[in-house]
Amino acid sequence: VDFAPTPQQQLLAQSARAFLQQHCPIERVQALALEPAGFASDLWKAMAMLGWTGLLIPQEQGGGGGSMLDVVTLVEEMGRACLPAPFIQSAVVATSILLDASTITAHRLLSSLALGDRIATMALVEESGRFDWEPLDTRCEAPGRLVGRKLFVKDAHVASDLIVVARGGGALNVVLLPVDRKGIRVLPLDAMGGDKLFEVIFDDVEVKIEDLLASEGCGKDLLAPALRLGALARSAEMVGAAARILDLAVEHARVRVQSGRPIGAFQAIQHDCADLLRDVMASRALVQEAAWLVTTGLASDAGTAVAKAFSTEACLRVARRGHQIMGALGYCEEHPLHLFHKRIIAAGLDCGDTSQHLETVASSIGLS
Amino acid sequence: MDFGFTNEEQAFAEEVRAFLRVNPPESFPETGMDAGYGSGPHSRAFLQALGARGWLSMCWPRQYGGQELPMMRKLILLEELAAGGAPFGPLAGCDQVADAIIGYGSEALRRDVLPRIARGDATFWQGFSEPGAGSDLLALKTRARRDGDHYVVDGHKIWSSHAGIADYGLVLARTDPSAPRHRGLSMLVVDNLLPGMDIRPIRNMTGKVYHYETFIDNVRVPGDYLLGRENEGFAQLLRGLDTDRFWGRFYKPASMRRILGQLVDYANATMVRGAPLSRDPVIRRRLAEVATDIAAVRILFYRIGWMIEHEMPVTAESPLAKVMADETGQKLMALGMDMLGSYAPLREGSRWTQLGGHIQHLYQTSLGHTIAGGTSEILRTTIATRGLGLPADKVR
Repeated sequence: VDFAPTPQQQLLAQSARAFLQQHCPIERVQALALEPAGFASDLWKAMAMLGWTGLLIPQEQGGGGGSMLDVVTLVEEMGRACLPAPFIQSAVVATSILLDASTITAHRLLSSLALGDRIATMALVEESGRFDWEPLDTRCEAPGRLVGRKLFVKDAHVASDLIVVARGGGALNVVLLPVDRKGIRVLPLDAMGGDKLFEVIFDDVEVKIEDLLASEGCGKDLLAPALRLGALARSAEMVGAAARILDLAVEHARVRVQSGRPIGAFQAIQHDCADLLRDVMASRALVQEAAWLVTTGLASDAGTAVAKAFSTEACLRVARRGHQIMGALGYCEEHPLHLFHKRIIAAGLDCGDTSQHLETVASSIGLS
Repeated sequence: MDFGFTNEEQAFAEEVRAFLRVNPPESFPETGMDAGYGSGPHSRAFLQALGARGWLSMCWPRQYGGQELPMMRKLILLEELAAGGAPFGPLAGCDQVADAIIGYGSEALRRDVLPRIARGDATFWQGFSEPGAGSDLLALKTRARRDGDHYVVDGHKIWSSHAGIADYGLVLARTDPSAPRHRGLSMLVVDNLLPGMDIRPIRNMTGKVYHYETFIDNVRVPGDYLLGRENEGFAQLLRGLDTDRFWGRFYKPASMRRILGQLVDYANATMVRGAPLSRDPVIRRRLAEVATDIAAVRILFYRIGWMIEHEMPVTAESPLAKVMADETGQKLMALGMDMLGSYAPLREGSRWTQLGGHIQHLYQTSLGHTIAGGTSEILRTTIATRGLGLPADKVR
């Protein structure tokens, strides 16, 4: 047992923090949050130059050959900065699907993703709102036509490629389509913040045989690991955001003076801060353990489910208590606290919410 | 980062499991009640069986009869014993006292006491709290004054676990009453059999005895039974408490996993209005949720163990994990009570009792955990001030 990050991971975390402090300070995040697109293409290009967008891609395919332990290390820093970028959608979830698909089209797209030239996102969820592949109403044959509608698709406005999950005959089809394919319509959903969400309508879209990523019936083998990695990365993002909230709250408690002393000298505030520290530390340790399980190939659904379910609830507690400690200040739009809170809400819902992951935990502890 | 165990560590875990198969916990007589921390009842015979295997001294230096094995072995031993429901009550406490004696005891103390600890023949109680000194430990009044080559101790200690069935007390006493409150304290190893020691049981809400109070009247303690240096007891106590909170709780998640497993079996087997209790969405969710809490406590403790092994300070970490372990325990036992419903109050041995009647006992003992070893309130203050650097809430 060794909890020390490797020298490479330490370097990754340090350089990521320095880069994000310089190029993605909180003022920039706040400005982007007020823009409809909320995306900085120069930042994305710079991240690609640093090798982040290709981190999970093996070196022989032109990537960084990183592990999930590297990814959670990096993503925690992104969460700490509240970075608005489709990193987890494109460089983790879509990348995992494309790596496992190993078709020629997939390989070609992977190099473009690594270079930052293209961005991919997954269209899975429908009206049920669940990250599950059954039941699905969207229909697709390959070759053939794609008909249906997807909800809660992330970053579709900046994505160049969509990975669409649909039913074809009795099987589950996973297809890769350019967003500008005729018949695809991307409609924004007006959300309170956190993620940029879209409805994507497929109106009799042509699907070619080479668009197919998974041969009939193998769709699940692509989706399950991708959702697992996505859940883990989003957990790390929540840990980073919660750690930042803890810093903001503790700093505020130190300097805000009421009744002649810093509010951090009052036990009511002290005890809340202690609980925030507990929630951050426990979430981080579980995420690292789950990432280690995935990295060593011991990949258990349960490990990731425990990490996601726990860190979602824990980081939401941090956000809510953080608001209480910060008082009226944190309620203002010009204070960044709400952005971290909304990011945690968005990440908690992505790749399976608490209920969904707790059901996995329930089965894993032997509940019939 | 590596969260796995080496082949040797896995082999050792299997050795402990094999030992428990040959020496089933229920075959050892209980000498003191199970306080619910996860180490089971106090059983002198079980401790001696561990001693015979060399497991009580395996991490000590060779010159004191140890094997100098890494600390991870101790963690594995504790986790496996707790997972197996073994009665190893006083083990962790003995181990800490041994470490303290090896670290800063006199040669006489080492010679007299260490071999007895290694065999499982000596157990200890902590004489810290007093009737007027609980959360405000520094209010303690017990005196120890030097008289030739002895200390003469007078005072009143309380809430000492298993003191009446132990051999020695670790008594914190004031050796310099003129010094400020946090100075002038010393730690003495006091033999229970010395004249003037009067140790009386305190029956608790479970109907059993775990705590004792001790009246210390003119007790003469040999000078070389001073642990550490005179008047430096408080610094030593603080150092000790940081790790005490770790060693006193490290094995609790393993034990909670065992209880959770029993509740899962009960939920699967119990029919409620024609469906198994396990299908009740509320019960299902509460069980899954507490499973994630237990997993979090476990990994936090392993991290602290790793930090202690690397001599990193655990000032915020150990109270944080202690509070979380005890609050998770309370959550688990309250869930157990809810699940058992009308059967919940039935004690072990009663007609119609469920799950051996253990849940009501563990529920009751869990209430004491957030008070003993530093209340959760005191510890949250410690985390906030010493861990997060918030200003102290001083009385002016």
